[in-house]
Amino acid sequence: MAKEEADAPRADCDLRFSSAVYSLDTIKKAAYRLSGHCSFDFEVVGGEILCRLHFAQALSSERMAAIKNGFRNEVLDQDLRRTIAEETGPMRNAILAYAFSRTGLQDGDEV
Amino acid sequence: MLTLGGESLTFRNVRDEPPFVIRLSDNPSLPRPLRPESAFLFREAQANATELPDGFRLYVQIGGRVEGAEERTQDRPSIVLSTAYNYLGDGDVLRIVPHRRGLRVLFRRSANHNSILLTEQCNNYCLMCSQPPKRIDDSWIINQVLQAIPLIDSAAKEITFTGGEPTLLGDDLIRVLSACKSWLPRTAIHVLSNGRRYADPAFADAYAQVQHPDLMVGIPVYSDLSSIHDYVVQADGAFDETIRGILNLKVRHQRVEVRVVIHKQTYERLPQLAEFLVRNLLFVDHVALMGLEITGFTRPNLADLWIDPFDYQKELESAVHKLASYKMNVSIYNHQLCVLDSRLWPYARKSISDWKNEYLPECLSCTKRSDCGGFFSSARLRYSDHIAPFSARALQPEVMLLGASP
Amino acid sequence: MATKFERREHFEASLGNGYRLLPFSFSPLNDRDYILTNQAGQYTLLDRPTLEDLVRHRLEPRSDAYATLKSQHFLLDSDSNVAVDLLALKVRTKNSQFTNFTGLHIFVPTLRCEHSCPYCQVSRQSDDKTAFDMSFETANRSLGMVFRSPSPAIKIEFQGGEPMLNFELIRHIVVCAERINQIEHRNLQFVIATNLALVNDDVLSYCKAHDILISTSLDGPKDLHNRNRPRPGGDSYERTVAGIAKARDILGRDRVSALMTTTEASLGRVVEIIDEYVRLNFDRIFLRPLSPYGFAIKTKSYQAYDADDWLDFYFCGLKYILQLNRDGLYFVEHYASIILSRMLTPFESGFVDLRNPAGIGIGALVYNYDGEVYASDEGRMLAEMHDKTFRLGNVHENTWEEIMTSSALLDPLEQSFAGSVPMCFECAYQPYCGAEPVFHYATQGDFVGHKPSSAFCHRNMAITRHLIELLRTDEDANRILMSWLRI
Repeated sequence: MAKEEADAPRADCDLRFSSAVYSLDTIKKAAYRLSGHCSFDFEVVGGEILCRLHFAQALSSERMAAIKNGFRNEVLDQDLRRTIAEETGPMRNAILAYAFSRTGLQDGDEV
Repeated sequence: MLTLGGESLTFRNVRDEPPFVIRLSDNPSLPRPLRPESAFLFREAQANATELPDGFRLYVQIGGRVEGAEERTQDRPSIVLSTAYNYLGDGDVLRIVPHRRGLRVLFRRSANHNSILLTEQCNNYCLMCSQPPKRIDDSWIINQVLQAIPLIDSAAKEITFTGGEPTLLGDDLIRVLSACKSWLPRTAIHVLSNGRRYADPAFADAYAQVQHPDLMVGIPVYSDLSSIHDYVVQADGAFDETIRGILNLKVRHQRVEVRVVIHKQTYERLPQLAEFLVRNLLFVDHVALMGLEITGFTRPNLADLWIDPFDYQKELESAVHKLASYKMNVSIYNHQLCVLDSRLWPYARKSISDWKNEYLPECLSCTKRSDCGGFFSSARLRYSDHIAPFSARALQPEVMLLGASP
Repeated sequence: MATKFERREHFEASLGNGYRLLPFSFSPLNDRDYILTNQAGQYTLLDRPTLEDLVRHRLEPRSDAYATLKSQHFLLDSDSNVAVDLLALKVRTKNSQFTNFTGLHIFVPTLRCEHSCPYCQVSRQSDDKTAFDMSFETANRSLGMVFRSPSPAIKIEFQGGEPMLNFELIRHIVVCAERINQIEHRNLQFVIATNLALVNDDVLSYCKAHDILISTSLDGPKDLHNRNRPRPGGDSYERTVAGIAKARDILGRDRVSALMTTTEASLGRVVEIIDEYVRLNFDRIFLRPLSPYGFAIKTKSYQAYDADDWLDFYFCGLKYILQLNRDGLYFVEHYASIILSRMLTPFESGFVDLRNPAGIGIGALVYNYDGEVYASDEGRMLAEMHDKTFRLGNVHENTWEEIMTSSALLDPLEQSFAGSVPMCFECAYQPYCGAEPVFHYATQGDFVGHKPSSAFCHRNMAITRHLIELLRTDEDANRILMSWLRI
């Protein structure tokens, strides 16, 4: 793409994520957080998740780059959250069970 | 520093019987039925004035020549003590050990603090232990204490039970506390413990069931990190047990004080410990931040423990400020006012037991001496480089501001 | 060291065995750092590389970050597991307030009012007492509901209209409630929200005798207050100030509090408004956002400014208040103190608007003059605009059980619960925030709301972030903010 065209204000942009690395759920959760700025279309094509962002108004290329970076970081964060949730899910439930049990804090339960 | 006991003392006509506990009386008109269980206390000067009263189990003379004593006491069982024991008074409780010609003071009615050792055994081994543990059978101590409790003045304000680790005595500790509840219902009881045994709910239950009207247990927590606490007390797993012990006590509505001895291994994370306390143990009744006593294990470990208190004021002030912001009750013990950040003065208490409380020569001219707790007697071995007396000027800034010439 | 003592390394040996994560959420704090919160609502701050190291189990065990995370219960290693007991205890403490159930009971003795504030949602300029006053019977039935709540502390708050216009009914409710309380033994408290324009010595003596608190409106200096709060004679400010003085005289300074409402006219004048509170010897101010209900929507007062304009107003006010504290005056910004207490203590205030599950019904109930029962005061205001979504029933027609188990209450409670809605469920700020089904329904059309475009979310995150930055970068501000904690 010619540089002038690349720098022109746009109201759409595309991002691609490898579906081997990120789940669709992760991408969608990240997208939800940005949905105050833009709307999204998703498509799974081959080994990739394709995201198209739509803005109400055209944005400068700097602003667009910032939003795309923000989205990428958000996807990374969501991936991290998924890891945390998987590892700590049982502990989270155990602590809640402890906290609300009638007999108070029990001894000896392995978590 | 007071001499609280000794052996190979001057005993006359004392039968070789097992050790026993006895209360001192200086009242020559003590009703006769009470005399067989009491010891008459007199000073040499007194004895010349009147004849000694009859019927006491033991006669204790302070000061004076041994020969003179013989005439006065004749064949009555008696002990002659040097004037080092001049502090003894009516109502004090002693343990007498005939076969060693020894005595030990268990309770002093005139003392500001009374501490009674229950055992020298312990399941921790703190780097700075002031009463190093001994692996001996000292179960006889409990019996002597149980004998002493009825003799203690019921007007006594407070008694501290120490060790070693008192909770190792299990049911015997409970018996002692129950005896205090019966015989000394108006006396506040303070138990010093590492708290670990209370992690056992059955023991915590037994302790709570005493339902003592004024009981508090003082439990050390040396760090917010288990590895540091365990290192200081030299026992793996101690931190977890201690914290669980505290929780078990509080859920049973027992009063708990958290104690922290500040030294080189504990001062750095004092602010983090304060944060840990306010987020996790906000319900404890008191936090005592204490200066190091240069006795017991502190001496061999001094290089790893000593830090000039002046050098940790930043951490101490930060910790106290955090605790106070959360409205926890905080006291600072065993620190001199000249060494403390002035914002901490309201928290400093005069806490050193009188028998080991001293001041340095520098303190003679200090205008704050009566407010200051002074030093442990053992402090002469090591103390801050920043000890300096307050002068009258330093206390009266208003006078200077009004233009009075310096 | 004597050889019979183990070295420190011995006790740190297990640090080489790795660690487990304890449950936590994380969110961005600023461009560089993240905030992590655990189940007990404690927070810590990490930069992104350290956060990643933590989650990927690459964190260096002897680092300061590791020590902090272990101490504050974000990770667990083989050396100690009492963290689990402590976390469970903290979670239990944090949630214990919910078992108390409804503590705030708002009674509307009348809708009549002689003011005509543009932001007001409900009042009527009318002398028709039968149309707009609560009857004794409605009051009695409502009181019956009040004491069905198991809460050990019951606060009965009179709102309106201008409650003093039906003082006879207030008297009746106070007397009856006190009589019931002789058996119930709750911690019973009364508050009257009044403009103080019509107050007299008799009324105030009565308040003193029954320990009734007064809460009045003070929007700022005279011109601003009178502009916001028109009444015949245009002298709302003068009457309020005189009323405050009189009320303090008779009731005591601490028994009289003031609330401000922000309008477009208030923006840019926050320092003057605060100065007014200082001048009148108040020791706190609640810098409130404008609520989007009722007349506010009708008169477009809400759209007049967006969340960022209000945030500028708020931050400017907070900065000024911190300066006042530095200059030696203890003065609290109330909303900040609520959020700070959430962040730093296990204690909950009585504030029902920032709760999760939401405070509707289970935190507060409203008994309207006509017997209608609403889930919150905002729900009542919506009803005045002909939207009865938050109407739970009527004291003359429904039992307590019917009201508290109605789907009008349960649906918004359940649907808005932050632990189960997008974004909130994994948001690190959740412990310091609340579910706001009424606000989101009014502004976005559903109980959950679309948080990325929610003014409520935006506002709370901005304020919480700001407070966190102050706590960590400004030692003076840190100490001042700590002194505002409600312990």
